[in-house]
Amino acid sequence: MIEVRELTKSFGGTSVLRGIDLTLEQGQVLVVIGPSGSGKSTLLRCLNVLEVPTSGTVVIGKARLEFRADAKPRKADVLALRRQSGMVFQAYHLFPHFTALQNVMEGQITVRRTPKTEARAKALQLLAKVGLADRADAYPHQLSGGQQQRVGIARAMSIDPELLLFDEPTSALDPELVREVLKVIRELAEEGRTMMIVTHEMKFAREVADRIILLDGGVIVEEGPPEQIFGQPREERTRQFLSLLLEQGSV
Amino acid sequence: MNEQTNLDIFTDSFLPLLQAGIAFTVPLTLISFALGLVLAMLTALARLSEFSPLAWVAGFYVWIIRGTPLLVQLFIIFYGLPSLGILIDAFPAAVIGFTLSVGAYGSEIIRAAIVSIPKGQWEAAYSLGETRLQALRRIILPQAARVSVPPLSNSFISLVKDTSLAATVTVTELFQKGQQITAAVYEPLLIYCEVALIYLIFCTVLAVLQRQLERYFDRYSTV
Repeated sequence: MIEVRELTKSFGGTSVLRGIDLTLEQGQVLVVIGPSGSGKSTLLRCLNVLEVPTSGTVVIGKARLEFRADAKPRKADVLALRRQSGMVFQAYHLFPHFTALQNVMEGQITVRRTPKTEARAKALQLLAKVGLADRADAYPHQLSGGQQQRVGIARAMSIDPELLLFDEPTSALDPELVREVLKVIRELAEEGRTMMIVTHEMKFAREVADRIILLDGGVIVEEGPPEQIFGQPREERTRQFLSLLLEQGSV
Repeated sequence: MNEQTNLDIFTDSFLPLLQAGIAFTVPLTLISFALGLVLAMLTALARLSEFSPLAWVAGFYVWIIRGTPLLVQLFIIFYGLPSLGILIDAFPAAVIGFTLSVGAYGSEIIRAAIVSIPKGQWEAAYSLGETRLQALRRIILPQAARVSVPPLSNSFISLVKDTSLAATVTVTELFQKGQQITAAVYEPLLIYCEVALIYLIFCTVLAVLQRQLERYFDRYSTV
């Protein structure tokens, strides 16, 4: 189970997250939508502790960490919490000096201390799952954007995280490559993976989400099942946001 | 009647010059560069360290070495330190001087290479649960090494030529040998051109090695 309580994050004097509360049951998919600058990415990055939250509590699986404005969290606690979630980045961030296979083995070998043969077998299995068994020995620059992002997904899964985080996983992709990545994410949802996804693909959000939250100005404006958010939004701000997207033709 | 032709002088002096090069110039270069690289790496990491006194000491060292002439540094080590009771033989004194120099200039190259690796690479390593040290060793340094090869090769080639300064602290390396031969046969133009030629040969060999090293690192290219 994932629990976030009163999470805040400020950069200098600017507060980007202003008290986020949310709970996510195992196997649920939560989609985070909202205008740019609303704090969506920061929220995800706080859960993976790529940004250290200013205050609040984060519980993911067995790890629990309370952040305080007046004290730096202990390194060991940060690592323990971080290892509960896997991150898929907008710009993939694959390791360019490693092959696809080595990218998916890295976390297993370095962090989990898995023996090499075992790590390799699991990496091959994960690459097959994202449809890239035949490109295991390719370097990232030899792969298309969609293929790179699928390796990124396999890499995030390689450490058996409790929670998978997707930070706009298709925003950097050419339109014709978006579909292959969404297909993989959809399959993971059907398998019952616990996931949090930041996306601008509203059609996809509607299909894959168990719940959607709309973030604006660092707070959750509305939270509910996709039918509510897209069908009968309760908040005026949600309507505005969706009609804006409608104008742009992305719903 | 017995006068030697220029060609005779050239061929007679070639072997002694080459020997001086191989016996002193080459080891002086290799030892100083190897030690200097280790020092450069440690200095670069110290300057990037979150522990500020360490960063400060490293910055001070780089400031001193880069801001003073190598020739003066060599004189201080070989002629100056004995006043403090520290006597160092010519060859090790030269090694110390060149190592300190490579360490300072090399550290700036390595630091720049580390900083040039995109932040996303650190984040991707962290997101897998790697510690700072693991991320550095597994992800950042291998990529930084590739970026550093051309500028470090440049330093290496400069060092080959800079070792001629060791002549001033009595190391009988290639240039010193050239001076000795010139004093005997009095053909400065010929002998010093010959000395230059041997430096050129050494540097050409290194340039070829550099290209091969770059090709090795080019098996992948950064996006």
